[in-house]
Amino acid sequence: MAIGEVIESTTAEFTAEARRYDRIPAYGSFVKVRDGNILVYGIVSGAYTGSMDGLSKAKAFFKSLDELKLEQPQIFELLRTEFSCVVVGYEEGGRYHPYYPPTHLGLHLPVEEADDLEVLTISQHLSYLDKTLNSPSGSGEELTAAVIRTAARLQPDPRTYIIKAGRELLRMMNYDTQRLKSVFERVDAV
Amino acid sequence: MKGTILRGSLSGGLEVRLDIGENIEEIKVGTFCVVEGRTHDFFSMVVDEDIEAANPRAFYENLSDNPLLNEIIRGTGIIDKVKIQPMIAINREESRIQPVKSIPSYLSVVREAQEEDVFKIFGRPDRTHFYVGTPLDMDHIPVCIDLKRFIERSNGIFGKSGTGKTFYTRLMLCGMIKSGLCNILVFDMHSEYGWEGEDEDETRKKAKGLKQLFGSKVAIFTLDPESSRNRGVHPDFVVEIPYRSIEAEDIAMVWEELNLNPTALEVIYVLQKHLGQDWLHTFLNMDAFAIKDFADNTGSHEGALQALQRKLFKLQRLPFIKENPADDAVERIMQYLDSGMNVVLEFGHQRSMLAYMLVANILTRRIHELYVKRSEKALGGTRENNIPLVIVIEEAHKFLSPDMSRQTIFGMIAREMRKYNVTLLVVDQRPSGIDPEVHSQLGTKIVALLTEEKDIESVLSGVNNARMLRNVLASLDTKQQAIILGHAVPMPVVIRTRTYDETFYRDITRDDGGNRSRPTSAMGHSAGSSSLPGADQQEEEPSGKEFEDLMKELYGK
Repeated sequence: MAIGEVIESTTAEFTAEARRYDRIPAYGSFVKVRDGNILVYGIVSGAYTGSMDGLSKAKAFFKSLDELKLEQPQIFELLRTEFSCVVVGYEEGGRYHPYYPPTHLGLHLPVEEADDLEVLTISQHLSYLDKTLNSPSGSGEELTAAVIRTAARLQPDPRTYIIKAGRELLRMMNYDTQRLKSVFERVDAV
Repeated sequence: MKGTILRGSLSGGLEVRLDIGENIEEIKVGTFCVVEGRTHDFFSMVVDEDIEAANPRAFYENLSDNPLLNEIIRGTGIIDKVKIQPMIAINREESRIQPVKSIPSYLSVVREAQEEDVFKIFGRPDRTHFYVGTPLDMDHIPVCIDLKRFIERSNGIFGKSGTGKTFYTRLMLCGMIKSGLCNILVFDMHSEYGWEGEDEDETRKKAKGLKQLFGSKVAIFTLDPESSRNRGVHPDFVVEIPYRSIEAEDIAMVWEELNLNPTALEVIYVLQKHLGQDWLHTFLNMDAFAIKDFADNTGSHEGALQALQRKLFKLQRLPFIKENPADDAVERIMQYLDSGMNVVLEFGHQRSMLAYMLVANILTRRIHELYVKRSEKALGGTRENNIPLVIVIEEAHKFLSPDMSRQTIFGMIAREMRKYNVTLLVVDQRPSGIDPEVHSQLGTKIVALLTEEKDIESVLSGVNNARMLRNVLASLDTKQQAIILGHAVPMPVVIRTRTYDETFYRDITRDDGGNRSRPTSAMGHSAGSSSLPGADQQEEEPSGKEFEDLMKELYGK
């Protein structure tokens, strides 16, 4: 089921609005968007919740959420959530390609969460680490750690996977062990 | 061992990056490995190992508390590297062994050598390929020495004391005797080759000598029949040296042992010139008047003569020097050698350097003369060429020191006697004491552990890629490990030598047809026996008798 809709798109990234302001895919999880005969995969790289118009700010009421829902139910209708994703690859004709699709995503396409099998396929191609590490949103190391956590959980042997990913990452980081350490401090030991 | 070529050069050796998961701690320097290039296989030896970081900062990052990171970085950011030296190359299509004239391309796979690789290079064990040991960590694969090439030149066995030189020597002697390619004359200073020797292995205690293993193929000569008998050895011949066979040159060789100065040596030449062949005996028997007379007649210094005489009296104390010996030792040795036997000369209690050098020099000089004559006749077509003779000398640095080697017969043999079919097998613990010129003439060297820098350097002189082998030499085990380099092996190789035990005895006494050779006593046991060698070799032995039983029966032991 769609959890969002594409509202902004570039070759490397797209932004989607969540169907519900309080239901968004996890940071570092995998999503997919069907665009014609290709299926584009992305990794959730950040999210934002604010007022509907994007200009004014929500107002603080100093009440519990339950009280607010009872007394001011309308304010929740005025909230919207956006989440951004980095594009990691696409599927076409039953084959996964670990690079950008030929054209960037169209707008107003539904965004869905990728299922476990898809995540397993994508995460075998460790080139996604390069895209998360250099994510335009800035916090590349945080995002990389999150996606490794996500992917590793689904692997038959998570530790081996983490080590393999770590080695690939070290190469991408030009053998900067200090930087690698800062990523792996955020990956729980398995 | 598995890895890929990382970088390298023809002159400096190749660096191999070990595959992830390989344990560098298990790869020993000296290991024999193969690089599979695009068209050639390069047979190489591990010469050094080190740890390298792609980014040197990695070394300083403390990762010891994070096993996960540790595992990631090992093999990626910090790599284990092995340095190898290609020794020979084989073109896979032509299967031809060639010297290394190129290097394998980048990322060529490196692996440990396997049985067929070892056979391809060193040959399979047969009559002329003698199985001496196994490569490091490859316990079942025999490495062979090409004996034909081995005996073509003089060879050396070196190693610190206690590293098993005697054992390697015994092993090579066994190989040579079994092959029948040459005759052997051993100057056995410590009486450990002939009948039996000490075995450093506690469980065995005694190591069988050549006579026990080869019976009629070996004759034991002795300088000290009493010592031989005490040890239960029945010598074939007691060697006595006549005074007249001692020449000025022989005395010059033992100047150190006799404490002679250069003037004394000059006097000796004067003595020999005036007194002729019997100079020594005559001189030793001169009284003060005779010496004065002689000094007056020849213009030499009386005091010097007296001093020399006092010093030469030492020779009279050597019991084997006789005025008129019953038999001529050299003739006897030649007789035995000519009949295809091998001679071990035991020194018994006469193990002083003085006795050893004197006897070895006198005998060798005459044997050499005979060989030269025969070779000349062979050249003239009047007789067949000699069977090659290998002379084994211990404490070789005494004979072949830079001062000595030019004068003594041994230096001459080492340099040129190959032409006359006489070569040396020198055994020594201080190779640095041997004349570099002699070193460069040695064909094959079997080297056990050496730690002294000078010794290592001298052993490696004249060897390709010597610098590389230095590490290998210094890291050998103290026992049963040696590196073989030179003429008789296509490439230097570190081996774990064969164990000198029952299995070896069985192997070495089995003839090529699969039967054991018969250890019969060909010679009479009485000292100085003049029975012709090989006279009763034809005697049939009862079939099925075990070696031990036979020995008991023969020697009553």
